[in-house]
Amino acid sequence: MISRREFLKGVSGAVAAAGAVPPLFAWAADDSGVQVPGKEGMILRSARFLDLEMPPEFFNSWITPVPHFFVRNHMHEPSTLDAGEWRLSVGGEVENPLSLSLVDLAKLEPHTVTNTLECAGNGRAFHQPHVPGVQWEKGAVGTARFHGPRLSDVLRRAGVKASGKHVMFHGLDDVPGKVPPFIRSIPVEKALDVDTLIALQMNSAPLTRHHGFPARMLVPGWIGAASVKWMHEIKVLDKEFDGNFMKPGYRLPNHLVKPGEAVNPNDTHAVTALSAKSVIAMPSDGSNLSSRSVHVQGAAWAGEADVARVEISADGGATWQPAQLGKDQAKYAWRLWSYVWKAPKAGDYTLMSRATDGQGRTQPTVAEWNPSGYLFNAIDQVRIHVQA
Amino acid sequence: MFKRSALLVALLSLCLPPLLRAEDPDLPPGPVQAKVRTACMECHESRIILQQRLSKGTWTKEVDKMIKWGAVVDPNDRDAFIDYLSTNFGTDKPAEPASRVAAGKKR
Repeated sequence: MISRREFLKGVSGAVAAAGAVPPLFAWAADDSGVQVPGKEGMILRSARFLDLEMPPEFFNSWITPVPHFFVRNHMHEPSTLDAGEWRLSVGGEVENPLSLSLVDLAKLEPHTVTNTLECAGNGRAFHQPHVPGVQWEKGAVGTARFHGPRLSDVLRRAGVKASGKHVMFHGLDDVPGKVPPFIRSIPVEKALDVDTLIALQMNSAPLTRHHGFPARMLVPGWIGAASVKWMHEIKVLDKEFDGNFMKPGYRLPNHLVKPGEAVNPNDTHAVTALSAKSVIAMPSDGSNLSSRSVHVQGAAWAGEADVARVEISADGGATWQPAQLGKDQAKYAWRLWSYVWKAPKAGDYTLMSRATDGQGRTQPTVAEWNPSGYLFNAIDQVRIHVQA
Repeated sequence: MFKRSALLVALLSLCLPPLLRAEDPDLPPGPVQAKVRTACMECHESRIILQQRLSKGTWTKEVDKMIKWGAVVDPNDRDAFIDYLSTNFGTDKPAEPASRVAAGKKR
């Protein structure tokens, strides 16, 4: 639990690093005029369907408050959803199909998993050449405490047959036109993991509508799309689901492809766990700083792996210095980090950050280009000007 | 004065093209601007188009995907749609600046 004092410290640090402009006013000039109650100040990628990105100044908190948590909707949010009437069905390759109410789920032993949830397309805007889709920059990512029963407890009650290999999640997204429904599946091993939840709460409060009320999946360490929102059906399958949002959607080619090159859908694999990645939150790109003592801060995460270190370079990657990792940590959560860099003299500089995880994976200089722009994780950089 | 400006806003909103809200930026002018607006904004809003920077080949795939998913486009207009989108939102254009969700009402 982050204390109020720590939170305020984080905020004041961010304000200082931003060069004294309080975040509240930093975006007033860019006001879209579009209101999304509870999400003020978020970057508006799309109002319909709703896609909201967290601006860099909000990377200052280990737990992302719900108002600052990114929103990625593929379709309309469910128009009517009565919590009393709502049921979660569990079927397919199981011995005893179930129909569970919110009360039934609340009776199961709850667990809390602090997880960094990142959209597979986060950073898509940085891919060259550009690829179609929501042009996310740094902030389609956030960390929250997800709380609810384990999926494995529900699956044990239903009794998964030996033929059950994948577990399918069907959301209540309101489907426009002839768009296929939002259905995804994960392998049964991940479904039975003790940290995979049917989340009913986020940061100690019931899920809000934008985040999947009344129940969403939480598949920790994996791309956000695995954690299906507005759940209403779980189905155990004998193979991976092959609908649009599993294939061709959310897949990576098995081999590097060139822009424009055709990809055989059968030569691809589903995107699962997140990559090692760090972002520089402060100073922001293009900052004009009055002090030679530059407070650099950000966050780093690595999906199912631990963040081993974050390093900073101010000389184009010739030399790297270790950043200090924040004390808050959890298995699937990002680490905040900070570094004080002393500029040798006034001038223009590029600061770079590079994360390495416990499996030895390090951020690349150039992210692997792929036709849908998934898992962008190139070394981050910001350009700054130091005045004095 | 307030009443007059409110009336003006109301009149202006009446003049706005269908499916476009006052807060949404419009698409750039062009021969099929109105048709693109009608076909795409049945589901989306303009920002999702304005932020794309794609080659003609990629726009072709996107237009065909959207038609498959229910976008109503006269087959005779398909090529004009692709031309309009790749001309206005091609790889050579500078990035579209992003805006923020509006500040809430003072509580």
